[in-house]
Amino acid sequence: MDISFALTGKGYVIVAADTTAARSIVKMKVDEDKIKVLSPHLLMAYSGEPGDTVQFAEYIERNIRLYHIRNTYALRPPSAASWIRRSLADSLRSRRPYAVNLLVGGYDTSTHTPHLYWIDYLGTMSEVPFAAHGYGAYFALSLLDRYHDPEASVEEGLATLRRCLDEVAKRLVVTPEKYKVKIVDKDGVREVEI
Amino acid sequence: MNSFLTRYSSTTPEADIRKAKELYGEDDDVSEMIWGSAGGFGNLAKGVPTFKVPAVPDPTSFLRMHTDDHADPSCRIKIKHGTTTLAFRYQGGVIVAVDSRATAGSYVASGTVKKVIEINPYLLGTMAGGAADCQYWETYLGMQCRLHELRNRERISVAAASKYLSNLVYSYKGMGLSMGTMICGWDKTGPAIFYVDSDGTRLRGDLFSVGSGSTFAYGVLDQGYRWDLTDEEAQELGRRSIYAAGHRDAFSGNTVNLYHVKQDGWQFIGNYDISELHYNGPGNVPGAPGGGYGYDVRVAGRSSANAPEDQ
Amino acid sequence: MPDGSFAHSQQRSFNPYTDNGGTILAIAGADFTVIAGDTRQSEGYSIQTRYAPKVFRLTDRAVLAVNGFAADGNMFVKKVKQRLEWYRHAHAKDMPLRAIARLIQTMLYAQRFFPYYVYNILGGIEEDGTGAVYSFDPVGSYEREACRAAGAAQSLVQPFLDNQIYFKNQTAAPGQSHPTHLPLPDVLAIVIDSFTSATERHIEVGDGLEIYVVVAKGRSPQGLDTMRGVQEMSARPDGDRMFVIRRDLKKD
Repeated sequence: MDISFALTGKGYVIVAADTTAARSIVKMKVDEDKIKVLSPHLLMAYSGEPGDTVQFAEYIERNIRLYHIRNTYALRPPSAASWIRRSLADSLRSRRPYAVNLLVGGYDTSTHTPHLYWIDYLGTMSEVPFAAHGYGAYFALSLLDRYHDPEASVEEGLATLRRCLDEVAKRLVVTPEKYKVKIVDKDGVREVEI
Repeated sequence: MNSFLTRYSSTTPEADIRKAKELYGEDDDVSEMIWGSAGGFGNLAKGVPTFKVPAVPDPTSFLRMHTDDHADPSCRIKIKHGTTTLAFRYQGGVIVAVDSRATAGSYVASGTVKKVIEINPYLLGTMAGGAADCQYWETYLGMQCRLHELRNRERISVAAASKYLSNLVYSYKGMGLSMGTMICGWDKTGPAIFYVDSDGTRLRGDLFSVGSGSTFAYGVLDQGYRWDLTDEEAQELGRRSIYAAGHRDAFSGNTVNLYHVKQDGWQFIGNYDISELHYNGPGNVPGAPGGGYGYDVRVAGRSSANAPEDQ
Repeated sequence: MPDGSFAHSQQRSFNPYTDNGGTILAIAGADFTVIAGDTRQSEGYSIQTRYAPKVFRLTDRAVLAVNGFAADGNMFVKKVKQRLEWYRHAHAKDMPLRAIARLIQTMLYAQRFFPYYVYNILGGIEEDGTGAVYSFDPVGSYEREACRAAGAAQSLVQPFLDNQIYFKNQTAAPGQSHPTHLPLPDVLAIVIDSFTSATERHIEVGDGLEIYVVVAKGRSPQGLDTMRGVQEMSARPDGDRMFVIRRDLKKD
């Protein structure tokens, strides 16, 4: 089961996802990147039904890129999230829906505001200060209620993320060994080691 | 059911229970006279542990069919479920904290349940799973602990008390008991916590949380836990952890009950309304910084947006 | 087989339970307790009888209300009464309320693997003269409370009681506080309103209402004795007093 976390801080969003790709009881890959960079200031972590995840994420990635090429500017995070949600909702009403859970994090360069959206495979969307998908949510959400700070620096934000990863490592029966962590802020997207 | 037949048959579930009782050597005469006294008619109306079992080929699936609201939400007999309980050991003793919500399906059957069972002045038990199973067997355990004191002229150890309960519920394994409990106390060896459940698991440990909201409690508890916590800090951590579970788990909530076990026995610290904790905090309590525990209360006025000038 | 037996064993599902509807309710005051129940007994959409009591006098100061499966309920009350009679013979006094509560727990739990499908509410006067209500689940977990509704319309009645008895979600006027116990006339009004409202909105509630009132020894029945439709059932005029009020509820 995939685990992903995301949290906002002063002028940034951190998105983290585990890097295992499993099938049955076997780990097929331990360095899979499950966070797509959709545009210069937009990230999307995806998890869920194997196959659906990458297909849907690539469809979103190409269409967001197409919008950028046609209009010379990228969609802002709220609009991008709305479009992504609608794509998922339309898919849900099709013959074979995508079963994909998403965390969309972006930085709005016009309003200087970071945005984070929690979206599930049913097309439920909610803008939140922090979010999680998978079993990690059961351990991390109460912890984030306690420790998250919207004005935290990047270092403090990463320390809070570290708490989440440590808690999952401590309590969850099957623990992912590695996470990919990406940050989006006014300077764009970058990957950090944790 | 033909009681004469069941009493002497060796294949019925009742016989299994009888055998299990013989296995751990329960004193039939003593237990019947005191437990469930029928006013001198103990021989007619048996107290514990004789149980009526339906005359069907598989009594366990019969019970599950009528009482398990997970298997069948429309089942008639709804046994109360849903809980968050925790206990941890630290330098200053044991902290025990629980919520007070009981649910039957999605109905909040009660918001004032006592999920800490005061077995005796030195022993506490917690309640998760079936309310009646925990309440009944932990009361029964209290009686057996008292008998141990009378017979041995010394208090029972936490290890022995928990082992008694563990063996007892294990003898009913597979019959549908549902309990996840922590037996907490202070004995010759100091503070001790044992996790005992109806599967027969029994674990000694420093920190446990049990129930549907346990993961949320662990999230806050693990991150704030240290062996050298002060009494005030430890009580605050217990309170906050149950608050967190009450906030995130729909099957937990209403109020927090907080207990502290020290060398001279347990002490009830207080009852705290979870909504009150959310907005205003526990009030003027040592160790608790002022203000509500709620996320939105705590971060009110703080924003993640950058000021326009530092773009 | 010709003799009527089967060559191999057959599994038949065994369902000894049904739900007979109705609602019960009890409220404890400072020195009295009110225990009430409607008298309709139904199965599915058909009404079996318009008068089947669900509230029973156990002792001079204890009343038991039983809801759920009527056959189990009646059997259970019968057995509780029998145990209380044995207790009277052995100890030459009535069993105190808190002991009855514990007795009911052990009796219900003895059926843990073949439960009585009954929700019990025990009301009466404690040894210290205070009003008390104990509520039980079908297998015997119990708790002392100030008020409790159980049965078909519990989810309609209990929130109303939470608001009117516990003053939940109400704010007292500045400089004032909510009373901890309400006077008997107020409680009776709340009980009657609970049942008339539940009758309006729940099909399994109606026909008749029986309200038992137990008033502690030496305390005023607060005008109850002159109330319409009241019948006194006290064993002695100088002990705890017990009354029953019977009212009609809508019969459609």
